[in-house]
Amino acid sequence: VVLAQDSLIEEVSFLCNNLSLANLPNKVEDIRKIINDNDDNFREWLAQYLVMKRITLEQNFHALYNGFLLALNDVTLNDMVKLETLRNIKILLKSDKKHAASNFCDRQLLKNLGHWLGLITLGRNEPILLDELNLRDLLLEAFYKGQQELLYVIPFVVKVIISCGKSSVFNPTCAWIHQILQILAEIHRQSDLKLNLKFEIEVLCKELQVNLDNLICDNSLLQDTDRITLMTQQLSEVTML
Amino acid sequence: ELTLLGVTQYYAYVQEKQKVHCLNTLFRKLHINQSIIFCNSTQRVELLAKKITELGYSCYYIHSKMAQQHRNRVFHDFREGHCRNLVCSDLLTRGIDIQAVNVVINFDFPRNSETYLHRIGRSGRFGHLGIAINLVTYEDRHNLRRIEKELRTRIGPIPAEVDSKLYVAEFQHDLK
Repeated sequence: VVLAQDSLIEEVSFLCNNLSLANLPNKVEDIRKIINDNDDNFREWLAQYLVMKRITLEQNFHALYNGFLLALNDVTLNDMVKLETLRNIKILLKSDKKHAASNFCDRQLLKNLGHWLGLITLGRNEPILLDELNLRDLLLEAFYKGQQELLYVIPFVVKVIISCGKSSVFNPTCAWIHQILQILAEIHRQSDLKLNLKFEIEVLCKELQVNLDNLICDNSLLQDTDRITLMTQQLSEVTML
Repeated sequence: ELTLLGVTQYYAYVQEKQKVHCLNTLFRKLHINQSIIFCNSTQRVELLAKKITELGYSCYYIHSKMAQQHRNRVFHDFREGHCRNLVCSDLLTRGIDIQAVNVVINFDFPRNSETYLHRIGRSGRFGHLGIAINLVTYEDRHNLRRIEKELRTRIGPIPAEVDSKLYVAEFQHDLK
């Protein structure tokens, strides 16, 4: 989305540079005024700006930006922010992962976006619909495709799920989340899984006060390779050697 | 041991009375996660903090005439992200070790290179990315070149657009 007026961009930039909990109500009023004075094109630009220039990069202020959007309470903008978040996540998931070990940057961005997605969905008692992003199948697909993919996907899924500690609806016992936790636990039991990924899963369980050893599933989805190969692919193709 | 590695340094020529206007422009153009703004005296710290708070900035201030306990409190809250910008005099002796601070502004240019290094330098071998912007007046012009020479570093004129890759961590163009 392109915005014609530089002054408007600068105004928003100034506002975001100076947003804090203490001045939140004032800044919310300021942005509301700007939104009312402009058309939907501005909303769309704002959603993109917030996600790409702020949220993706400023993990330390996620709670602040979430509070900002909640106080603003603009349904259209919230929808646009969620769409933009998912769009960026999908770009990163589809990106080439051949050099994953060295591509720290993409993985960090994906983690940040995952944390944000969890905050604005699970954290607000709202679901992530399966046709928006299928976390369970994503894990299965990554497991099937290999280590590099897991390096991207596990920390991402963990960051999303961590917000369910704050949710009364989507807590660890809800069927949707519970199944994802079970799959994470099963991946955790694979002996060749990288130690830092095991650690990520352990941290998640500790945070959610779930006992990793109790997460056992009778019919393993991980072993059902026929099913996995038929799934809609959310990651990039694995290039043949 | 302080290093200037990873910090891109710029200067902008201004008159004293243009400084606040220049600061405003910077805050409208840059992507600032958190910033630290240095002044040369405690009075100027208080004056500037008051002035820019009125202009809608989120800022705290600390200076050497405040009680240590009070200073610690403010610095702690700043580190926690309760506010976005910190105006201060020269009292940080260890270099900035707050990861979120990606912009440091010398509202008043320091008189010697040691002070400059303490304000701008980062501790540790892997300094995080950041930019430093010096507001330089006609009187500061010789100090600028002297400090640049003494520290064997480069302080260039600020371009119209500062490349985000220089100070926004993990910036990625591919996302477009």
